Amino acid sequence: MKAPTSVEPMSQRMTVKFPYKRSTGEVTGRFLAGLKEQKKIWGRRIAGQGVVVPPNSYSEVDAKTGGEWVEVNDEGTVTAVGVVAKPVADLHPSDTSFAYVLVKLDGADTAMAHIVRDRLGELRVGSRVKAVWAPDDERKGTIRDIACFQLIG
Amino acid sequence: MSKLRNVAIVGFAQAPIVAENPHRTAPEMLYPVVRQALANANVERKDIDYQCAGSSDYVDGRAFSFSQVMEVMGAWPPVQDSHVEMDAAWAAHLVWVKMQAEECDAAIVAGFGKVSEGSPMHVLNLQLDPFYHASLGLDHVSTSALQASAYMAKSGVDDAGLAQVAARNRAAGAKNPDTQLRQAVSAAELQKTPFVTSPLREGYLPPIGETATCLVLAAEGKAEKMCDRPVWIHGVDHRIEFQTIGARDLTSSASTKLAAKNAFEMAGVKGVNDAQVVELGSTTPAEELILRDALGLPSGLGGTSGGPVVNPSGSPLCANPLMNTGLLRLAEGFRQLSGRAGERGVAGAKRAVVHASGGHCLQQNIVWVLGTERRWT
Amino acid sequence: MNQPPEERVKFIQTDLVLPYHYVAGDYKALYLRALKDKKILGSKCSATGKVFVPPLMSSPDAHAPCEEIVELPDRGIVTTFCVVNVPVYGRDIELPYVVASVALDGADVSIYGLVQECKPEDVEMGTRVQAVWRPDGERQGDHSDIKYFKPTGEPKAPLESFIHRL
Repeated sequence: MKAPTSVEPMSQRMTVKFPYKRSTGEVTGRFLAGLKEQKKIWGRRIAGQGVVVPPNSYSEVDAKTGGEWVEVNDEGTVTAVGVVAKPVADLHPSDTSFAYVLVKLDGADTAMAHIVRDRLGELRVGSRVKAVWAPDDERKGTIRDIACFQLIG
Repeated sequence: MSKLRNVAIVGFAQAPIVAENPHRTAPEMLYPVVRQALANANVERKDIDYQCAGSSDYVDGRAFSFSQVMEVMGAWPPVQDSHVEMDAAWAAHLVWVKMQAEECDAAIVAGFGKVSEGSPMHVLNLQLDPFYHASLGLDHVSTSALQASAYMAKSGVDDAGLAQVAARNRAAGAKNPDTQLRQAVSAAELQKTPFVTSPLREGYLPPIGETATCLVLAAEGKAEKMCDRPVWIHGVDHRIEFQTIGARDLTSSASTKLAAKNAFEMAGVKGVNDAQVVELGSTTPAEELILRDALGLPSGLGGTSGGPVVNPSGSPLCANPLMNTGLLRLAEGFRQLSGRAGERGVAGAKRAVVHASGGHCLQQNIVWVLGTERRWT
Repeated sequence: MNQPPEERVKFIQTDLVLPYHYVAGDYKALYLRALKDKKILGSKCSATGKVFVPPLMSSPDAHAPCEEIVELPDRGIVTTFCVVNVPVYGRDIELPYVVASVALDGADVSIYGLVQECKPEDVEMGTRVQAVWRPDGERQGDHSDIKYFKPTGEPKAPLESFIHRL
């Protein structure tokens, strides 16, 4: 028989879950340790890029290694804002509306990505924000040791 | 500029672009498209000596996903087969390079991806570095929004401006029977749609969609036999920027500017105004404005005009079938220059500039220059 | 302090969650649903007449459409096989057991199945087998509807009759 022109669709749901334990290197590992143990944000002065936060062990300009540690302030200026209206499950870091931001911390030459949870309507490019740290017993050595950023003033 | 081999686009076919095709798997969507593309180019599979596909294992939810299409592109007799884990526009580039190396003379390039089967937000999150970005849950709409936000703050373009760019593309899409969104919508209506991630509203973002595509490329000597009006490749270049979005200037596209400069030089033209048609791989109005800046095109806002027709296809705003989007821009260049663009054809078009992008925030960009005549004699 | 801690955080745990729903496509949907009725379907190549099980929309070698659906008997030949002696995580089949490629009568390619109701050492390339189905009411419309294949006791098939149907 000729294949029928239309057959009732059949599909199967499957959620793929991959647990990954990702090794850090010297630079990423020490940066994360700085968040966890010191509540400090460290950058690296990298040739061709200035002070990079968060830091890499190599330059994204010419792939050369090297650089020196520079502590940056936990306050900075927002360079980009996007308010997520309906967070997506198993992806976004909040169940309720929140904002992604790029923040250029005082002393850094690059902006880091993070989130803001409150006063979303007041957030603008140019807003001043400050890091809010996760409590001592909740910091694990990830970028989320900074719980979020908060508008100053 | 040394003389290169003249290579042309000699055929193209695509499946309809739909939100979801629940009746066909990826290879089943691609098979009739390959048959049609070969027929359009007046050849059989045995006349093809190279094939390359562009697809993504993560879009398909399968490891080695491209292996499922090898037999629908043609598995016997065996020819050189390759794959890029990228949009098929880069598969076309790989084929162009192989032709320059004289490793093949007639080739097919395929794009496929059952986007509806997975979640692009979850998948595209994985393009980001795991330590500082992916673990925040950043998705591609949110990173595009961050770029749009930075661009708007610098340029002064506002929500109404984004709506105007989007409406322009929706109007063009209404004339394109091969795209997904084919109804014009006014800027005012688009401005009423809710934000997904501000400043990007639903109306400023592409729909979810899927298709399969196949482009046929041939070198001089074969191309003329395969197509009544081959569209010749005059120049091409692609460049990539930092993965770290906060470490680069999101308000401009340096890699597009550089790729364009190199492609124009290869093509022996001064710039974008030597073309009559431009196709941009922009998935948001902000991306389009940034790319226009990079190529030296007017924004079209505030009464600015002039220069080539931009995005006659409606752009990826009207259809963004992942892995095919970039190849569809090349296809539009082919259709426009070979008189196959129907009602939306730009009369007398002799040269086209085609752009495609990959990665977050326009990280990687490819620019092609196409023409109705051979570049090198 | 003018440096971050000497001892680094050694790794981060990232658990990826990717939701999918896979489409079977009409050809495989037809095939799977037919198993519930104890029917095995294949498709026939319009250029060479080769029959593929499960049904394919196009032929991998001729690159021609295979739009004719055919029904195949539930008996065939073991083309090749292996004897499994080690336990596999998630399987509780009694060891040792035989996994075989079975070319059904009329098919040009093989499907996979267990061979049971015999000693593993009695299975050979060419052994004729018959499908044993799950009982009526227990079949779901998937590959587990064929529980296994069992030898029919007929003389084994000659090599030339199946060597190209692996």
